[in-house]
Formats: sequence, C-alpha cells, structure tokens
Amino acid sequence: MAAGSEVYVLGGYQTDFARNWTKENKHFSALMRESVRGALEVCEIAPEEIESAHVGNFAAELYCMQGHLGAFFTEADPAFSGLPTSRHEAACASGSIALLVAAAEIEAGRYDLQAVVGIEQMKTVSSDVGGSYLGTAAWYEHEAEGISAPFPKLFGKLGDEYDKRYGLKDEHLAEISKINYSNAKLNPNAQTRTWYMNKEHALCQTDDNPAIGGRIRIADCSQVTDGAVTLFLASREYAEKWAKGVGKKLSEIPRIKGWGHNTARLKFADKVAESANDQYVLPHVRSTIASAMKRAGIDGVDGIDGIETHDCFTTSEYMAIDHFGITAPGESWKAVEEGWLEIDGKYPINPSGGLIGAGHPVGATGCRQVLDSYLQVTNQAGAYQVEGAKTFQTLNIGGSGTTSVSFVIGV
Amino acid sequence: MSTPMTAAEMRKILASRKIERVVVLGANGTMGFGSAALFTTAVPEVTFLARSKEKAEEGLAAAIKQVRSPTVASRAKTGDYENDLASAVAGADLIFEALTEDMAIKKDIFDKVEAARRDDSIVATVTSGLSINALCEGRSDSFRKNFLGLHFFNPPNVIVGTELIAGSDTDPAIVDFIDAFSQLRLGREMVRTFDTPGFAGNRVGFKLMNECAQLAGEIGPLLVDKLVGPYTGRAMTPLATVDLVGWDIHRAIVDNVYENTNDEARETNKLPDYMAKLMDKGVLGNKTGAGFFKRGEDKSRLVLDPATGDYTPEEEIKLPDLGYIDEVSAFHRDGRYQDGMQAFLNAEGEYAKIARGVIAGYIAYAFERVGEVAETIDGIDRIMGLGFNAAPPSVLVDAFGAQGVVDMIGEAGLAIPSALAEAAKTGKPERFFTHRRINIGRFFVAG
Repeated sequence: MAAGSEVYVLGGYQTDFARNWTKENKHFSALMRESVRGALEVCEIAPEEIESAHVGNFAAELYCMQGHLGAFFTEADPAFSGLPTSRHEAACASGSIALLVAAAEIEAGRYDLQAVVGIEQMKTVSSDVGGSYLGTAAWYEHEAEGISAPFPKLFGKLGDEYDKRYGLKDEHLAEISKINYSNAKLNPNAQTRTWYMNKEHALCQTDDNPAIGGRIRIADCSQVTDGAVTLFLASREYAEKWAKGVGKKLSEIPRIKGWGHNTARLKFADKVAESANDQYVLPHVRSTIASAMKRAGIDGVDGIDGIETHDCFTTSEYMAIDHFGITAPGESWKAVEEGWLEIDGKYPINPSGGLIGAGHPVGATGCRQVLDSYLQVTNQAGAYQVEGAKTFQTLNIGGSGTTSVSFVIGV
Repeated sequence: MSTPMTAAEMRKILASRKIERVVVLGANGTMGFGSAALFTTAVPEVTFLARSKEKAEEGLAAAIKQVRSPTVASRAKTGDYENDLASAVAGADLIFEALTEDMAIKKDIFDKVEAARRDDSIVATVTSGLSINALCEGRSDSFRKNFLGLHFFNPPNVIVGTELIAGSDTDPAIVDFIDAFSQLRLGREMVRTFDTPGFAGNRVGFKLMNECAQLAGEIGPLLVDKLVGPYTGRAMTPLATVDLVGWDIHRAIVDNVYENTNDEARETNKLPDYMAKLMDKGVLGNKTGAGFFKRGEDKSRLVLDPATGDYTPEEEIKLPDLGYIDEVSAFHRDGRYQDGMQAFLNAEGEYAKIARGVIAGYIAYAFERVGEVAETIDGIDRIMGLGFNAAPPSVLVDAFGAQGVVDMIGEAGLAIPSALAEAAKTGKPERFFTHRRINIGRFFVAG
C-alpha cells in the first residue's frame, strides 16, 4: 500500500457470542444496534463523524427474513440518517469483504472514516435447516441439496485429501480442537467459554461426540452463533486527529499493513483436482496469505506474532498451519506436536479460541478476526494476550476454500 | 487487588506452584460434583470424596451427566471419608470443601483435613456465605494461611462469576495464585469480596429475591414475577429463581444475613412466615416438585396461593393491566434498552411503582454495601452480572440516568446513597459501568 493511502483500525466492539438473541426475544436490529453503539462508545467516536458504512452478512434473508441490511444503520442512531451504506456477501468471508471495500474507499480518498459491521443471527432456525442454509455457500445443487450437514462433509474431505497426500492422524485434529476450546475459556465473549472439552473428549467416539461428516466429529466443528462485530477504519488524516483526541500517538494505532484476496472454483472436487500437482492442497488460499504478507513487507511467518485463522473445522486449521508456512506442506502435525500453536508458543494460532472456541456468526467472523488482531497488537486482549504482539495476520475463508481473504494488522 | 493482573503476570504466578491433585469433599452434592467436574478440565487427578464410596460414585456419575463427557472419569478417583480421606488429602495440592452449609459439619471435616494435609496444600471452601474467619478459627497457622473462600455459583461449569474471599490470615500470595489459576485454568471471572455474611453476591442478590417473596405474600407470586420480570434486567424471574435454588438454600442464606447483619434494609432479609410454614410441610421448590410454581399433570403451570398453600392454574389468575411492560419489552426487542428503561421510569399506576420500588431497593442496597462487601461497586456489579445473570446495579443506573435512579429511590421512600446523589448533582461520572467487553444488552431480556 502506498504511504498516502494508509488505512488505520481505530478499534471496535464485539457482542458476546454466547448470547442467543432469539431466546432474548430480540430482532436483528438489536444485534446490529448494540454492536454499532458499543463500538462508538468504546472508540469515543460521535456517530456524526462516520462518513460511510458497510455491512458484511451472509444470509439474513434466510435466517431472519430480512434484507436491506445497510439501511439498519439508520436504526442504530438518528445521526446516521443520510449516511451512504451498503451490504456485502461472500459466504463466511462476508465480513472481510466488507472490510476490503471500506478500506478501498479510504485508499481512493472518498471517505476518511468508515464503520464496518460483520453480522449474522443464526439461532433462529433448527440445526438441520441452518445446515441447509449454509449449504448455499457451496454449489448448492451439486454439493448440498438433499445432503444433511454438507459443510462438515466437505471439510471432512479436506482431511481425507491431506490423509491421501501426506497422512493425517485424528489425534492432531483433536489437539487443535482442545487448544481452541482452552483459549476460548480466556475470552469473555467466546461462545464455548463454559463448554466441557479436553483432548480425550475431542477424540472420544461416543454419543457425546458423534461423527457428522466423514472424519469430522462434533468437537471438530465451529459453532452456530449469533453475533456482530463493528470496526472503524480511518485514513491517516482522521486517525491522526482521533489519536490526539484520545491521548494516543499515531504510531500506536494499528494499520491494515497488507491484504490478500482470492477466489477458487466453487466445487471442492474441482479445487482438489486443480491442486493435484501442487504442494499445497488449496493453492489459492496459500496465495492469499502470501500476497497479504508481501503487501505488508513481511518475509514469511516469522514476521508475525500470531494468527487468527478460519477454523470452521479442525481440518481447515490443519490446512492453515502449512499454508501459512509454519511447517513445510503436509507437515502441520509437527506444529501441533511441538506446542507451537498455544498462546505462549512459537506461532500462536487463535488465542481468541477461533471459530471453534469463540464461535462463528458467519458474516461477522472476518471482522471478529480483525478486532481480535487489533486487541492483540494494542495489548488489550486480556487473559488471551500474546505477550508483546505487534503484528497479527488473519485468514477468513468462504465456502470450501472458495473465497479467501487475509489481513495483516500491525502497529 | 484493585488493578487486575495481566495475562503475563498471571502466567508467572501460575508457574510458581502446581495443582495436580485436587480432593473434593462433599462430592455428591450439587456444588461438589459440579465443581469437581470443573476441576477435571484443568487438573489430572480429582478425587471425589463423600460419606460413602457409593455416594462418591453417585457424585462422579452426576458430574459426567452434567458436563456430558465420559472423559471426566479418566481423571477422577472416588472414596469415602473414613477410609480414603487421610491418604487423598495428604497427596492433594488443593482440598476443596463443598459440604452442606453448616458450620459444625464443616468444622468437623476440617479436623480430619488438618490432621492429614501437607503444610503447603491449599484449602478452599465453596461456602455461599458462612464466615471464612470463623470456619478456620483455632486451626494451625499453616491451615489459616492457606485457607480461603472460592465461591462458585450453581451450576459451576456454566456460571463463570466466582467470589474469592480471603480470611484475615490468608497469605496474599495464595489469594493471587488461586485467582490466576481460576482465571487461566478454569476460565472463571474472579471477584474479590469481603468476609461478610453472604459475601457480595448472595447478600445483594438474595435481598431482592426475598423482598419479592415477601411481596408475593401480598399480591401473589405470579404478579410479582411479572413485575420484576426479565424486562427489569434479569434472565430468570426472582421467584422462579428461588424455586430453582431451593427454598431451604434460600432460607439458609437470608437467615444468615438477617441474623448477622444490621443494615438499613434488614427487614427485607427476613424470611416470610408463610414460606417457613410451607417448608414444614415439605415445600422446597423444584427439588420437591412444588414451590411458588409447580407443573400440573398436563405440564401447565400452577401458582401458589401463599395464604392457603393451594395452587391455582396460571390462566385462572386475573392480573391487572400491565401494558407498560409490553412497551418496555418492545424497546428491548429492538435493542433500545435506555428507551425501554425510561418507559419503565415513566410508567404510571401502582404496579409500575411497586416494580420500581424493588429495583430501586436493589440499586440502593448495592451502593450502600460498597466498602462493606467489596472494595468498590465494580465488585458487586461483576458478581451480579456474571454470577446472577442479572443487570449489575451500575448498568441500571446508566440506563435510568443518575437523576432517574435518585427519583426512583426517593419514590420508594429509601435513603439515597451518596455516590448516586453526587452523580445526579454533578453529572459525574457519566458512566458507572465501564467494562468495555461486557455486553450490557444481554441483561435486558425482552418479555
């Protein structure tokens, strides 16, 4: 990114992912309003200051019978009347896509301060119905129609592909699950904070941990979650002014130092066929990560202090480990065995608990990853703080590795 | 400690000693097996002890059922006091007492613990309000130095809010260690409260519930639970909570507070006579199938008549016009909590006034307890929010506005706590509740 088009992250707010908004008898508008107003308050920004606003959301039309989500900004505060708003969708990467567009508008010089909301309310329907809705993130007619729990099955196949090419042991996947659950216990807004988990449980093959898609068991899965995250992105000019107002130096305010964005073919079988001769199982994901690092001027994974990755299933985190370059392709198990992924390890992954531990409100996840990265590099992550973190990288995936987006956030 | 420890500080403290063996005494009780299950998430060996091996096995089975994982068993041992306590306690790094809330019974087991424990082992009690100092009175220096209250709320695996209570002789390093261990290993939200009857959580929380029970004697349980319902900032209505907790537990807590404190609201902690009478007949809440409410054969809800002890189908009870509650709930539904609470503040009629009186009493009582049960209002706020799942007093003050709260407390004929009078006068602080990462909206449930 050119020096003149720096994009700063001023902070944000996350709703507690353990909350069930249907049980609280609350409408989508409450979820959005709480996260927007929470962020304004935490960042000490007056609503009048926001110049444009974006919503990242996957499927509110299905889950909540509600579209036209950008317009709900006007319900969050009267000052938003007249604000330019829009909504963005790319399945589970929707939040990151909204951030990319907002950042691009700042780089283009259109606006100096943007609000970005990632949001999904999913507990409005049964798990069967919800599973089918999620199937629309794949090529529904080919990969999801008439299939129960289509996504666990697709990511089970990712594990099978690793197994075929390099060998894969379930105990390594169980360890990934255990770490995410343990980290989530330290995160006040994690969904599984009070759930029972240990490695033996993640490995156990009983009714308490049934298989739902090939090698994927319940403990391997991310969660069905209600949640919203609001972030503020700003130009250098606005960030400078804001920093002064809150008594900070500009150098303390994190920036989006790099980004990557890529799309692969929709069907999982097509992706795998394309990568048959590649050392990476999902080369487009690898390319997304690498281009974000390159734009940030970072030469590989040793240049970052931690990762918030898309562990929609343990197999996707297993894939991320070698795709980030922590190990050679096919050797992700080494990082698991060496304890590198823990909060105080060499390459911490998902100190927040990730999608498995913190929860996965589909459209909010990309924003949640950036917010957690922001908290890490500003030393505000509390009990899950990675000591001394200055640079974090995210990986957010839509579909079965179809859309991928990565951000490098750092001070 | 007024400033919370950082993650790095906690990790350092945690590395200073090991908790590898925990013994849970009274492991067949609800708090015993629930806490034991929680310990198995972090500790390789947890010994469930009870009066008999059979009872301890029942506790283990209940723990497995509660957390729905057979893997609890792989980290658990069981035994009884007579044959197994001495050896288990001798090998334990942490001894966790969860016997019935009776000073004599607890002291009796501590005789056995003291005889068997190592000088460096930590002894914690889960008492919900008995005096920590009294519980370790007369014990050895090493016992008193290593003894503290670790008050989990029920169910321990679900409710993260936890009180940590030091006695006069507790080593501050032990308090810091258990704090760090509970946060990092058990995922708890720790609140340090003072060694006073009921500590902070039950002192403030049960006061409201008992006041509601008193009120039920006049206007009936159904109306009370509507008036002090979810819209006032709680996940569960007060009398349904008393039924869930059990009338016997409720009584033990309010009796302890009533007998051992003398504050401005003492009479609100007096157990209503009708409850005592019904308890003599075996009414204890959900555990006996009947309390303020019970289920009919067709699962429909029946409501207690406190005067007669009879039950009436809910739909046969005539309630006054409570339209204002729908108005408040409609605001909550759209996330407009402040607007909702303003509507509550401005609602007309005697019943809205009764509801405001209870909430005003809760807020005033909490603010008057600052310095007595916890160092600051923040401790009371966090235990109410994270232990009771009820709107912390400060969250309510922020929603009503300081002047609004002062008016409410005045309307209820109560004295205005000085911090609130000051805030109404000066407009400072603008916000009482300043936790950036605790959602305040979760406390306001719509209808």
